[in-house]
Amino acid sequence: MTPEIGHFALVAALLFSLTQVIAPLWGLYRQQPTLLALTAPAQIAACIAVLVAFISLIWAFITSDFSFDLVVQYSHSQKPLIYKIAGTWGNHEGSLLLWVLILVSFGTLFCLTAHRLDTALFGLILAVQGMISSAFLAFSLLTSNPFRRLETPPIEGLGLNPVLQDIGLALHPPTLYLGYVGLSIAFAFAVAGLIQGRIDQRWARALRPWVTAAWSALTAGITLGSWWAYYELGWGGWWFWDPVENVSLMPWLIAPALLQSVRVVEVRGQFKSWTVLLAIMGFSLSLLGTFIVRSGLLTSVHSFAADPTRGIFILAILLLAVGLPLVLYAWRGPRLVTVGDFSFNSREMALIVNNGILVIATAIVLLGTFYPLGLEMFNGARITVGPPYFDATFNPIMAVGLLGMGIAGTLAWGHGGLPHAKKTLLGALLMGLVCIFVGLGFGISIAALAGLGVLGWLASGIVIDIALRVKPWQKAAGARLMRLGLPIWGMWLAHFGTAVFLAGVLGENLLQTEAIVRAQPAQEVNLGDDTVVFKGIRQTQGPNYQSLSAELQLYDAEGQEIALLYPERRFYPAENQTTTEAAIHTTWLGDYYAVLGDGDPQRGYTLRLYHKPVVAWIWGGAGLMVLGGLVSLVSRHRIPKA
Amino acid sequence: MRFIFLLPLLIFGLLAGITGFALFSTLSGTRQVEQLPSVLVERPAPDTRQPNLTEGAPEVDLSHYRGQIVLVNFFASWCVPCRAEIPMLQSLAKDLTVIGIAYKDKVQDTKAFLTRFGNPYHVVGVDLDGRTGITWGVYGIPETYLIDAQGNVLFRHAGVVDKVLIENTLRPLWETAG
Repeated sequence: MTPEIGHFALVAALLFSLTQVIAPLWGLYRQQPTLLALTAPAQIAACIAVLVAFISLIWAFITSDFSFDLVVQYSHSQKPLIYKIAGTWGNHEGSLLLWVLILVSFGTLFCLTAHRLDTALFGLILAVQGMISSAFLAFSLLTSNPFRRLETPPIEGLGLNPVLQDIGLALHPPTLYLGYVGLSIAFAFAVAGLIQGRIDQRWARALRPWVTAAWSALTAGITLGSWWAYYELGWGGWWFWDPVENVSLMPWLIAPALLQSVRVVEVRGQFKSWTVLLAIMGFSLSLLGTFIVRSGLLTSVHSFAADPTRGIFILAILLLAVGLPLVLYAWRGPRLVTVGDFSFNSREMALIVNNGILVIATAIVLLGTFYPLGLEMFNGARITVGPPYFDATFNPIMAVGLLGMGIAGTLAWGHGGLPHAKKTLLGALLMGLVCIFVGLGFGISIAALAGLGVLGWLASGIVIDIALRVKPWQKAAGARLMRLGLPIWGMWLAHFGTAVFLAGVLGENLLQTEAIVRAQPAQEVNLGDDTVVFKGIRQTQGPNYQSLSAELQLYDAEGQEIALLYPERRFYPAENQTTTEAAIHTTWLGDYYAVLGDGDPQRGYTLRLYHKPVVAWIWGGAGLMVLGGLVSLVSRHRIPKA
Repeated sequence: MRFIFLLPLLIFGLLAGITGFALFSTLSGTRQVEQLPSVLVERPAPDTRQPNLTEGAPEVDLSHYRGQIVLVNFFASWCVPCRAEIPMLQSLAKDLTVIGIAYKDKVQDTKAFLTRFGNPYHVVGVDLDGRTGITWGVYGIPETYLIDAQGNVLFRHAGVVDKVLIENTLRPLWETAG
């Protein structure tokens, strides 16, 4: 394999993508069905070409082909195979190619599944997809070519950052990209709808599974990233309000708002222009996420100056991808206006409130993420706003949103709630108050009390809703259970996952115990009620690192052994870098988390030990959310025939 | 009615315009990046008495340091740039008294932060609710103030303290003041 094969495939993909843009637009303008019919084949051809390019790049990483500049920069012949493969997207150029691959694959999947849509809409959607992939392919070819060849290949590569040699992180970008790119389809639907000046139920029904899938993938991707930060960074935290995290959170907040407003378009034929605007916002934020993280703009404005062509290209794409649809929206949006017909306690009203909350929460995150960047541009100061800002703004507004989630199942379309709405509301209120009352007994902070109240309300609201629908105490409960259908179970799962997540967050905040000590082997350390015995330290040799690990024996209050922990420090000679590998003993009820700090035989070693009750629920809850998304995805989404 | 549909475009245009202008004028060098103004400069530093990070140790009181040049640094464990700043502060600690104010940070977290990244501070005061930050007019952290022997603020810097700032600005300031 030579770099030229991949390079050539990439150029071919760009030509196919351009065809995919021109054929439907020209075909629709000139009323030529033969031109229009070229659209889908062009999309599929572009997909195959990008696949060829991507496989040739992976192959170069697997075989450590050092005639590729990229392989030299980011790989090393002694790296384990799985991380050689993951190294393909562990860098700017490769991850961009992966992004394009997912984009054209989704386009192809759309071609193969959406043939029931009318041909004009079908063609327009693919044309918009083609514009996005053309822009990205041009960006890749002109500024970030992964197939740059080295005239004199070196003998060994420069390796990959050892912190990034990790399975969670290898899977994190692809999953996150699935989510980002999934929103591109919603964006294409929105732009196509604006061009046609018409949006109907079939449009909404064809769109909804894409948004569900994108949101599920975003949830999974963000969860993987958070889990990675938890066990790899050795810091014991799981969310840092880091700009890189925040940019992935924003589309994640917009996606459920979009999902619900698409549902209103589908069922009631309302909220059309708002839905279109949300779809544009969702993908704009995804683009921001992809670009900002990869360009390094967030770390500092000055990383932008390091490669101005790349930066200007990025800004141009952002400007066009957000600006043009908004021009279109200002022009065509008024055509989509419908007259609302629903009462104050209807599901529509609840969704308006919920959408408002999610959009405000997104704006809060946007402000907290970009305010420091803005400040740096104006006066060169590099500062952080950090968790205190988000605790004071984001958490309260999301708490209000969660209250709505607890009773979401009991509201009906149009006018009035379902018969059991009042009982559910009262039950949830009661449980919320009970939780707050119990919390008062422990003297915890007001924010934590509010969290507990919301948790009680949310979890009991869902349980009562299910119970009152199924009525297990009456006859024929089985039949009622079966009639409920998968979509509502998907909603309950996702909402209940949120409750589990919240329980994990509160537990981790309120119940955590920790000990930071400098200890000699054979010393005992108290960690809450438990005891940790520092048995000893030993040195070993890994495949591409040297390791120093401590043996810790963990006993509970009764003196029963719980687990053996081996926290580790690794030194990677090729990169001259040290990493900490936390040792974690996970159970349903909590994690024991141990980190080995620096030290020597004379002065002892620094140990950081944590007991984190129910922390695993944070990711378990997120897993339930993803499951909820998948359940509602497999329930059949049929597009009625035109 | 139509105006509502123009609104998203106008907001976006405004944001893009400001960003583009700031970015390009900064990068092309037509606009010089200036430090944040502070009303405190050349005025007495606010009275500051904070609980000590070390339990049982006496309160941190800025007025005790009259007669020497002091660097007051607002930081927190949740602030990533603060980590980068620690080595710079350690080198400054050889010439000046560096006082840390742990801004809106849990005591346990601050301690873990200092064990992990090093402790350049002569003493650390705890500003749990950020009230001291408000009195000083802190924009965001890290933020650093140079205070002369009479207790007046000589200079304020928002952002990370780096080598260039130390050699070009801070050192001349404290050498003329001292």
